[in-house]
Amino acid sequence: MRFLNRNRMIIVIVSVIVLILLIGFSLSDRSHTTKAEQFTADTTATTQRIIDAPFNFIGNIFSGIFSGFGADKRIKELEAQLDALPQLKADNERLAEENKELKDALEVSSKFDYEAINARVISRAPDQWLNSLVIDKGQKDGINEGMAVMTPKGLIGIVKRVNGMSSYVEIIATNTAKENISVEIRDGKNKHYGTIEKYDEKTETLIVNNIVNEGRINKNAKVYTSGLTGDFPEGVIIGEVVSSENDSYGLSQNAHVSLASDINSIDTVFVLKRDPESLGD
Amino acid sequence: MRMIFLFLISFLLLYVDISFTNISPVDVAGLGVYFVPKLLFMFILLLSYYLGVKWSLMIALLLGLMTDVYVGTVYGLHLFGFATFVLFMNTAFRVFYRDYVTLFFVVIMNTFLFDTYIFIMYKVIGIIEMPTFDYFALRAVPSLLLNSVLYIPVLVVVIILSKVRKSVFINH
Repeated sequence: MRFLNRNRMIIVIVSVIVLILLIGFSLSDRSHTTKAEQFTADTTATTQRIIDAPFNFIGNIFSGIFSGFGADKRIKELEAQLDALPQLKADNERLAEENKELKDALEVSSKFDYEAINARVISRAPDQWLNSLVIDKGQKDGINEGMAVMTPKGLIGIVKRVNGMSSYVEIIATNTAKENISVEIRDGKNKHYGTIEKYDEKTETLIVNNIVNEGRINKNAKVYTSGLTGDFPEGVIIGEVVSSENDSYGLSQNAHVSLASDINSIDTVFVLKRDPESLGD
Repeated sequence: MRMIFLFLISFLLLYVDISFTNISPVDVAGLGVYFVPKLLFMFILLLSYYLGVKWSLMIALLLGLMTDVYVGTVYGLHLFGFATFVLFMNTAFRVFYRDYVTLFFVVIMNTFLFDTYIFIMYKVIGIIEMPTFDYFALRAVPSLLLNSVLYIPVLVVVIILSKVRKSVFINH
């Protein structure tokens, strides 16, 4: 066959080998991003932002015009909430101080302590297979691989790759992102622990397994991060239990958890930088 | 001159592809229907016909690499996918009589085959769990229809681009 002469055959074989190597490299368990990846991703992110700017400008003008309708009522409601703010602020400061004093007295660092880095989503995967996104904050802003990412409603993902000025985040609804995140299920006064196994696309729920069988977990029980694995702080809400069942051996339970965040509509996120003292060795 | 426009348009099309993620999947009777545009891919394929395989391959390798690193989990899929489909189109399309209708069908079928190739690769690696029937019904066919509509503006852009002179300077 003329198309597959010897030279072309060699090119095809080498290409397939390189492709396999690249796939293997990208799926390997790496804890850092190479400089070449950072450069390529940052270049694309910067171009993306330049193209994005005029579209955003026009979009903001239109959204400003449309949001103006019925704004008076909303402003009055917000003003009423604002009146209560000084009292809430004072309470918060008093409790934070009290909490710090108690922790100092006990000489413990809390797994709840984290700093939230505000970031904007600049793009999502165009092929729509993987639930991933790129945010506009990177290494320069103190972001590292493995950090938790949340919206105001709850946890959504993990920082997978960090570039200089942008980062790549995988949503926990992607099966490559699960990384056995340890969770805590608070069912009234009872606490159960388990790990996220995978995301069930049919029911649109996370499946949490390895829950010790100590009684049935009720529907609507809240699910939080446990702070036991990785760089994840404790107490970040993930969602609530939709249903639970015994595993095939009856030794542990599996729970289906609906996410608190809407993964299809994400504009701004918070990257959680856990207190280094609480990470231990 | 042509090179500048080529890069600008490629990035713009990549941006439009990404922007579609804001509206897709569309909820139809409780089912998520995916409309996945392949503007950049169609543009690269059409370049191979109107500007030549070299131009097309250059954009395919560069934008493929950028797409992989920027918004991909598995490297190499877009890079090799784009390049392979350009070569495939160039080889397979030689046997046809080159008219607009044939070109349309070849490009649209290639977008379908490209998405199927990504689906198979992800399925083999074990990243996605979408059943094959769901893929065809809720993703492949709607995307095929969307790309059929989007093909026309891309074709117009490529035809205009093919008429742009190569150099910025005018030779006297």
